[in-house]
Amino acid sequence: MFFSFLLCLFFTSLAYGSDYRERLLLRPLPHGALLASFNFQSNASSTSFEQQNFRYFPRSLGQILQHTHTKELHLRFSLGRWDAEAWGARPWNGAREGGTGVELWAWVEAASDKEANARWLTLTNALSGLFCASLNFIDSTRTIRPVMTFEPEGSHPPNALGNLHLLHGNLPHEVVCTENLTPFLKLLPCKGKAGISSLFDGHKLFDASWQTMAIDVRPVCTGDGSECVLEMEQTVDMVLDIERSKRPRDNPIPRPAPIEDIRCDESKFYNSHDSCMPLAKSTEPAWSLQDVFGRQISGACPLSDANDAERVICVNAVPERTFEIRSGAAQRVAEQVAPDMRCTALPSGPEEGLDFDLLFSDQPLTPPVNLTRPRLHAFRSMTGHGQERGGIEAVLRNPLSQPVSLVYMESLPWFMKPYLHTLNVAVSGNGNRDFQALKETYYRPAVDRERGTHIELLLEIPASSTLTLSYDFDKAILRYTEYPPDANRGFDVAPAVIRLLPNAADIASTSADERQKGVYLRTTDLLLPLPTPDFSMPYNVIILTSTVMALGFGSIFNLLVRRFVAADEVEGATLRARIAGLKERFRSKLQSIWARHSGKGEKDQ
Amino acid sequence: MDVDKQKALLFGSAAALRLLLFTAFPSLPDVLAGRVELSTPVTSFKRLQEGLFLYNRNVSPFDGGTYHQSPLLLPLFSLLPNAQRYPLATSLLYVVADLVGADALMKIADTGVAVSSRLFTSSRRELRRSSTTIAAGYLFNPFIVLTCLARPTSVFTHTLILQATSRAATGQSITFILALALASYLSLYPLLLFPPLLILCYDAQSSAKPIQSTTSNALTFTIRYTSLFFATIVALLLLSYGLTSSWSFLNAHYLHIILLPSLTPNVGLWWYFFTEMFDSFRAFFLGVFWLHMFAYMPALSIRFRTQPLFVVCALLGVVSVYAPYPAVGEAGLFLSFLGAFRHVFPLMRYTFPAVSSLLYCTLLGPAFYHLWVYAGSGNANFFYAITLVWSLGLTVILADAIYAVLRDEWEVERPDMRGKEVRRV
Repeated sequence: MFFSFLLCLFFTSLAYGSDYRERLLLRPLPHGALLASFNFQSNASSTSFEQQNFRYFPRSLGQILQHTHTKELHLRFSLGRWDAEAWGARPWNGAREGGTGVELWAWVEAASDKEANARWLTLTNALSGLFCASLNFIDSTRTIRPVMTFEPEGSHPPNALGNLHLLHGNLPHEVVCTENLTPFLKLLPCKGKAGISSLFDGHKLFDASWQTMAIDVRPVCTGDGSECVLEMEQTVDMVLDIERSKRPRDNPIPRPAPIEDIRCDESKFYNSHDSCMPLAKSTEPAWSLQDVFGRQISGACPLSDANDAERVICVNAVPERTFEIRSGAAQRVAEQVAPDMRCTALPSGPEEGLDFDLLFSDQPLTPPVNLTRPRLHAFRSMTGHGQERGGIEAVLRNPLSQPVSLVYMESLPWFMKPYLHTLNVAVSGNGNRDFQALKETYYRPAVDRERGTHIELLLEIPASSTLTLSYDFDKAILRYTEYPPDANRGFDVAPAVIRLLPNAADIASTSADERQKGVYLRTTDLLLPLPTPDFSMPYNVIILTSTVMALGFGSIFNLLVRRFVAADEVEGATLRARIAGLKERFRSKLQSIWARHSGKGEKDQ
Repeated sequence: MDVDKQKALLFGSAAALRLLLFTAFPSLPDVLAGRVELSTPVTSFKRLQEGLFLYNRNVSPFDGGTYHQSPLLLPLFSLLPNAQRYPLATSLLYVVADLVGADALMKIADTGVAVSSRLFTSSRRELRRSSTTIAAGYLFNPFIVLTCLARPTSVFTHTLILQATSRAATGQSITFILALALASYLSLYPLLLFPPLLILCYDAQSSAKPIQSTTSNALTFTIRYTSLFFATIVALLLLSYGLTSSWSFLNAHYLHIILLPSLTPNVGLWWYFFTEMFDSFRAFFLGVFWLHMFAYMPALSIRFRTQPLFVVCALLGVVSVYAPYPAVGEAGLFLSFLGAFRHVFPLMRYTFPAVSSLLYCTLLGPAFYHLWVYAGSGNANFFYAITLVWSLGLTVILADAIYAVLRDEWEVERPDMRGKEVRRV
């Protein structure tokens, strides 16, 4: 028994020798930005996973997945906005990024919807504890079941697909920060002590212009489906502003450069000793990993796959952009693997020294690397003013010369009540006014305090055209206990998720894995201001409203239960009569006292 | 000019005014439909459009948080052409609904039940107004005109209530039951009007027929028509069930009225109270508010046994102040209905302050709402204060009308007390 187990272990480790690997891609972007894309992949064979035999796959996460019967999991922590105009297409085709805040979607195995919801609740609560995030606030009002937008990335047995429930939740309000990074690092085999993950420093990571952390767990099977591994991918993508990142941590306030260092545009008429129009920079900034990340890499992660070591760090820049590798005492030269791609390995042993750095020097501006153009530009904004109602307008622009099909998904909070009859889809450009862009609609309306709105639209945009999608909504007023402490800031509305459906040309050009991951983009989130009551006066309102009601009730019932009499028929009713009555009583009292007194006197005599 | 000509002129001019406003200002109806003073979550025309849109696409409108109106309105409106593209058909429907309501009000006035019913005849009956004047007071009431332009579905409830009252006043029991059941089915609160209207109908029938009105007669009458009334409501509910093939409309429509989950501002007292209410007391105060609103019905019906029409009028006043989702349309109906009691107006004491407070609210309410929601220079208390004053003004008018009718009743007993100072004990 034990022998067969060992044999089994041997074969699996043979079949999946590459159980853990990590990659870092650095791509200098225009305007002094730098894309750093970290990727960590660890595999566990499904048999060892089921036997709770964890090696590279983190036990904490694995046990949560087993307990909640989660077959595929995607978790995203993001902040910032990807500037597609300047930075080109998104890394991983957008398949490894999330909307602002936290986004989570998973395929949960369950026999019924009710069971799936219960397991989803367990999953969110467990992940909330694991990642120090407010994932437990993903309740029924923030959970939807997408129908067209997401496809499973992993290979699931066809007979199990019927029992898999896709649930999707988001928390746009969540602020992603250092406390989410620490648990993320703990899931890595080298835990941020060695390898590229030693670059992670919360101060720099969350200071980025755009940042997304992703965790993806999916089963991957060989072609015949006989052998499966559970693949866990951890991805961190960020765009750093090099100038900003180079500021020293103890003195982070930006200060103007000394006037001697600024080159002025002397052709301006106002140029003088005290006025200057700075010239545009003509050089690329100098930077090193130490400058930008605040740390050096401390050697290769010893657990990572040896076969893959040569390509751990890659720089995606034109060959003219030179850099120096400082790897302990040893000399290293980057290997040119593609015209725009140079890769290198990390120092692996203490004999050559572990510190590793890349030094980019200050050099004349090189032509930027040929960025891939995005296939779609998407912007979404709110229209209207005031806190009563508003509208959403999403502008989707197709820059390519072929039509694009896409799924547009929105998950709105329940207090934002869209009017679907006002949904208007208009296509402009290329004279196709009557083009029917809206192919299919899936709509699940919100129920107050129970669930949010779920809209999915299947759209087609003709070549080089712009599609404008708009609808109206009403804002609900909430109970005063339902407002957050900063009620006047507004409420965050989750970004719209757009999935580009592959067309024939893509299917030919992309690999099966990329196709399975899909092409996504997300709009920015929105801030929805709601009307607010006065939070300081619940007692006053209760008292004032009750007074008005009591006044009505009192006066009406007073009229109903009493009867009329003439004023002069009532004794003591008028003032004069009452005064007269008082006089009379006083007089009689006096008389009686007088009579008693005089009677007493008579007796005495 | 004879009455028919007057009536034709009045109805023609009222319809012309409405149609002129509908066509000359095409964006006005939509602006008014968005006003919280005119449309509430349970009557809003925009929400009706949304429900209709979903209904026509075979999505249940009751499985959502937008549509909280009656299921039967959906097939009715889906027969009409699209209100966005051809607004005239819908506008005509609302204009006709107003005219039918005014016609019913004229019939009520013609019967003269307001001044002289079977058991009571006012000593001031010579002061009554002509029915045309009363209908004009309804058709040209600015609150009614604005409500008609905003097209909330409460217009149909008002028309049905007026129809039910006119049928009851003329003793047509079957149509009265049908109209009131339909109104209750649409808005729930007309249930309150059933007892006084039943008394009105009984009085009308027994004064018309020579048969003796005995206790057993009254009892069989009550049992027969009460069961008929509830049977009609059950039939309407079953019909709705047949249309939507689920009972979810009960939850979305009636529970939405009863439990007040939507706190959208309106002119009533409930919304801000329950916005600011502590969660643990919410259920208790909901019970108290409903009990409070219900309490007026038996009290008024018993005290004004001899004048059931006035009970209907007073209950409309109660509804316009204390209902969960009132709009100015309800207040307009109450004030126009009060016009039928012209003979007690000289006995009212606080007419001027009450009417001026209503005018004050009419002008300042929209301004303060704008300050709160759009300009941001005021907060919710501005609008809340206005709704308090509005409710107070209507309460004063209501209480004053009750005083005047009681005084009028008393003066029939004591004709010598006319114009003298009185006291209540």
